[in-house]
Amino acid sequence: MFRNFYTFCRNIFRKACVEDELDEEIGSYVELMAAEKMRSGMARDDAMREARRELGGFEQVKEGVRDIRIGVHIDRLVQDIRYAIRALTKNLAFSVVALLTLALGIGANTTIFTVVNGVLLKPLPYPEPDRLLMLWETQLHDDALQTVAPANFFDWREQSHSFDKMAAIDPYPDFILNASGGPQRLTGAAVSSDFFSLLGVRMALGRNFLADEDRPGQNHVVVLSHTTWLQYLGGRPDIIGKPLALNGADYMVVGVLPREFSFVSEASDFPSRKHFDLWTPLALASPPPPWQRGTHPLSVFARLKPGVSLTQAQADIDGVANNLQRLYPANDKERGIKAVSLSQHVVANVRTALFTLAAAVGLVLLLACANLANLLLTRATARQKEMALRVALGASQRRLAQQLITESMVLVMLGGLLGLCLAYAGVPAMLRHLPADLPRRSEIVVDGRVLAFTGMLSLATGFLFGLLPLFQSQPMSANDSLKQGGRSVAFGQSGLRSALIVGQVAIALVLLVGAGLMSKSFWTLLQVSPGFQTERILTARLSLPPQYLNGYAFGTGKHRRISAFQRELLERLDSIPGVELAAFTAYLPLGGTNNSWAIDIEGRPANPPGVFNTTNYRPVSAGYFETIGIPVERGRGFNPTDDEDHPLVVIINESMARTFWKQQDPVGQRLRFDEPQWRTIVGVVGDVHHKGLGTQPEPEMYIPYGQIPNVEARPTIVLRTAMEPTQVTGALRQAVSEVDANVPLDQIESMNQIVSVSVGQSRFRTAVLLIFALLALFVASVGLYGVMSYLVSQRVREFGIRMAVGASRGNVLRLVLGKAAKLVSIGICLGLGGATLLTRLIASLLYNTTPFDPVTLGSVSLLLTSVALLASYIPARRAAGADPMVSLRYE
Amino acid sequence: MATPQSDLLQGTLDLLILKSLALEPLHGMGISRRIAQITNGTFEVKAGSLFPALHRMEQAGWLMSSWGESETKRRAKFYRLTKPGKSQLRTEAERWERISLAIASALRAT
Repeated sequence: MFRNFYTFCRNIFRKACVEDELDEEIGSYVELMAAEKMRSGMARDDAMREARRELGGFEQVKEGVRDIRIGVHIDRLVQDIRYAIRALTKNLAFSVVALLTLALGIGANTTIFTVVNGVLLKPLPYPEPDRLLMLWETQLHDDALQTVAPANFFDWREQSHSFDKMAAIDPYPDFILNASGGPQRLTGAAVSSDFFSLLGVRMALGRNFLADEDRPGQNHVVVLSHTTWLQYLGGRPDIIGKPLALNGADYMVVGVLPREFSFVSEASDFPSRKHFDLWTPLALASPPPPWQRGTHPLSVFARLKPGVSLTQAQADIDGVANNLQRLYPANDKERGIKAVSLSQHVVANVRTALFTLAAAVGLVLLLACANLANLLLTRATARQKEMALRVALGASQRRLAQQLITESMVLVMLGGLLGLCLAYAGVPAMLRHLPADLPRRSEIVVDGRVLAFTGMLSLATGFLFGLLPLFQSQPMSANDSLKQGGRSVAFGQSGLRSALIVGQVAIALVLLVGAGLMSKSFWTLLQVSPGFQTERILTARLSLPPQYLNGYAFGTGKHRRISAFQRELLERLDSIPGVELAAFTAYLPLGGTNNSWAIDIEGRPANPPGVFNTTNYRPVSAGYFETIGIPVERGRGFNPTDDEDHPLVVIINESMARTFWKQQDPVGQRLRFDEPQWRTIVGVVGDVHHKGLGTQPEPEMYIPYGQIPNVEARPTIVLRTAMEPTQVTGALRQAVSEVDANVPLDQIESMNQIVSVSVGQSRFRTAVLLIFALLALFVASVGLYGVMSYLVSQRVREFGIRMAVGASRGNVLRLVLGKAAKLVSIGICLGLGGATLLTRLIASLLYNTTPFDPVTLGSVSLLLTSVALLASYIPARRAAGADPMVSLRYE
Repeated sequence: MATPQSDLLQGTLDLLILKSLALEPLHGMGISRRIAQITNGTFEVKAGSLFPALHRMEQAGWLMSSWGESETKRRAKFYRLTKPGKSQLRTEAERWERISLAIASALRAT
C-alpha cells in the first residue's frame, strides 16, 4: 500500500526523473541489441537501424509503459487539461465565441430553472407536504372549485376519517392598528385553532391558539407575523401575553410566527391577499347556526393520515357529501366535495407557462450546441494534421478522443461557471420582472439543486457538442492525412453540417411559432375593452374602523354612518381641483375581490332545492357608473336619493339581463335576496371584465351602498381626474384625514396600473418567449452563416473552374443560395410539423388564438426564411465575387 | 518458431520473466534473450510488451530495479526478484503445471 503510494507520488511529482530513466532504459536496450548484431558482423549504423526497427517505435514503447503506470489517469487528465487550455488560448476568437455562447445558454437555462425549481419543483415549505390537501365545495354539474360554508366545514371535520387534521381560514378580516405613523390597516386572517399545527409550523415566540380560544367570545387573541412584530412592535421579546389594541378592542398577543414562515395564499383563491400581518381564531359557534350553511367564506386545508391516498380520501369525503345532500337538501342537494393536493393547487395556474418557458430556453441551448458543434467541426478539420502528427508520435485513437473531450469539457466547465455568474445576476433581475401574482416567489433562489442542475447541464452540453466532431472523421491513417498536408479532406462533413442546419432552422421555427402565437394572444387580450374607462382613473382603498359598522351583525343593518362618511368625503373631493368625478365601490374590477348572492325573481316558480340563481353583486355609490365610465344602456343610473330611506333599487348588467330575461325588458321587474323585500330593477349597464380581460363577463348587479343587507367596511374610492391621476394622491389623503384621521388609506393605484398588473402573467411569458425566439433566430442565422461560409470555402476551386468555363456570377450566386434555400425549406417543413405537435400543449395559455393560426405560422416562416437567406447571401456573394484565377490558385 | 505475441496467454509473460530472473539479475535485453533461450526460441518477447510488463511487475513489488553496467560497459537497468517475486514465481509455476497437466489429460481423453 505504502509502496504504491510512493510510486504514485513519484509518477506524478517526479515525472521528469521517471521519464529520463525510461528513455535511458530503452536506449540501452537498443544499444545492447545493436551490439549483439555487430557481433554477428553487421556494420554499426546498420545494426542500430535494424535494432530500432525491431524495437517497433521508441515512443510507442514508452507510451505502453506509461499506460500501466499508477496514477496514469490523473496524470493524463492534468496533461490534457493543460494542453486544452493551451489550445484554447491559442485560438482566442474561437474560444471567446464559444464561451460566450455557452455562458448565455447555460445562464439563461439556469435562471429559468431557478424559477421553475422554486415555484414548481421544490416541496412546499412545510413538513411532509405531500400529505397536505385543500378541500373545496363543487356543484355536481360542474367542477369549479368553490369556497366552503362554515356549517359544511364543521360537518366535514366531524364525519370524515381520512384526515389527521382539518382546518379552515377566513382570509378577509382586517384590523386597524393605531401605529405611531397614523392608523394602519393590517391584513388579517381568521383560522381554526388547528391551522398552524396542521401546516406543521412552530411559533418563534409564544404558542399556537388553544382549542378553547377558538370559540365565540374567547377569541380576542392574536398571532403576529414576524414582519408585523418587527415593524410595529419593535421586535420586543416580552410581547407575549401583552395586550394589543386592534379595531379599538383589546387582543392578547399569544404567538409570533418564525421569519421563514410563508403562507401559500395563492392556494386559497384570494390573490388580493398576498401576505397576512396577523391571525386570530376563527371561533365558529358549535354547532353552527343554520344560516352558516348558506354563506361560503372559508378555504379548508387538511392533512392526510399517514398511508392514506388522495383517492381514498376523496372516496371518504364523497360519502360525507352524500350524507349532507340527504340531510340539508335546501343548501347541499347539488353539492359535492373535492380534495386537491395543496402543492398541485398552488401552482395550477402557472405550471404550463413555466414548463413552456423551460422548454423554450432548453431549445435555445440546443441551438447554441449545434453552433458550437459546427465550430468544433471546422476546428477539427483545421487540426487534422496536428492529430495525424500525434498519432504518428504514438498516440492512440482513443487517446485523441480523450483529448478532444477534455478540450470540450474545459470549455464547457468555464462556460458553465460564467453561466452561473450570469444566473446569479439574472435571478434578481428576473425577480423584478416576474408577474406580481406568481405563487411562491419568495422561494426562487439559487440553491444546491440549481447548482447541481447547472453542473449536469454543462456536462450534457459538453458531451453533446464535444462528441460530434468524433463521429464525422473516419479514423484515417496518419500517413494519408500527412500526405494530404491538411488540405480539404473534410468533404464528408458537409452532410453532418447540413443536418445541423436543418435541425437549427426547425427548432428556431418552433420557438418563433410559439412566441408568435403568444404575442398574438397577448395583443388580442390587450384589445379587449374592459367595459370601463382606464385613463385618468385613480383608485384607493379605505378601511373604516368598526364603529362605522354600528352594531354590525350578519344579514341585518343599515349603515347610516358609512353613508354619511362617504357623502362627506365625496363633497370634499368635489372641491379638489383636478378631480372631475368621485364615487365608491366595494369590489373594484380586476381588483381580485368578488362576492355573490342567490336571487329570486318575482313571478317565477321557485328553484328546486339546492339550485340557486347565483349572481355577483357590487355595492356602489351614486355616480359610480359615470365616474368609471360604465355605460348605462337602459333605464337610469343611481341617484343620491337611492338610500336607506327610499325604495330598494338594483341595476343589472347586460349579461344578467340576457341570462334571466332573454328578449324581455328587465327594467321595472323585481328581484330579491334571502329577505322579504323586493328590489326594483331601474337600469341595465354594460358588461365589465371583472375577473380578468381574458375572462367572460358574468351576470352582475349593482346595489346602492345605503341599501345593502351586509356591509363591506373596505370601500374603494374611484376618482376621475383631469390630469395624471397619481397627482391628486396628496389631496386625496388630505381629504380623508380631514373627514376622519383614523381611517387608513392604502392600495393607491391608477386604473392603468391595475389593468397592467392583471395581464402581468401573460405579458411576462410573452416577453420571455419572444426574447428566446429572437435569440434562437439570431443563433440559427449565425449557424447558417458559418456553415455556408465553410461550404463556400471548401468549393472555391470548383467555383473557380465553373467561372473559368463560363458560368456567370449570377450562376454561382444561385448555386450557393439554392443550397441554402434547400436546407432552410427542409428545416421549415420539419419545424412546422414540430410546431403543430408542440403548440397544442400551450393552447390553454392562448386567448382567442388557435394554435394553428395560419397568419402566425405564415409570417414567422417568412421571417425565418428571409433572415436565413440574408445570412447565406453574404458567403454566396463572396463566392460569386471571387476572381477565378485567385480561386484556382487558392490551395 | 516465433509465436505471435497475441498468443502469449495472459500471465505467461509474467511467469517467464519471473523464471528468467530466478538465477541472477538481468537487464531488459538480457531478460528477452534468456526467455528465448529457456523456451528454445519458442517465445520472442518484443520491447513493446516487455517494458510495460517489467514496470507493472515492479509496481506490484515482485521486481526491484537498479542501475548497473552491462557486459558492453554501458549503463543499463537491472531487474532482480524480490521476496514477494520469488513466492509469486512458486505459485505461478504450480498453477501453470496444474493447468498444463489438466489440458494435457483433456487432450488425451477419447
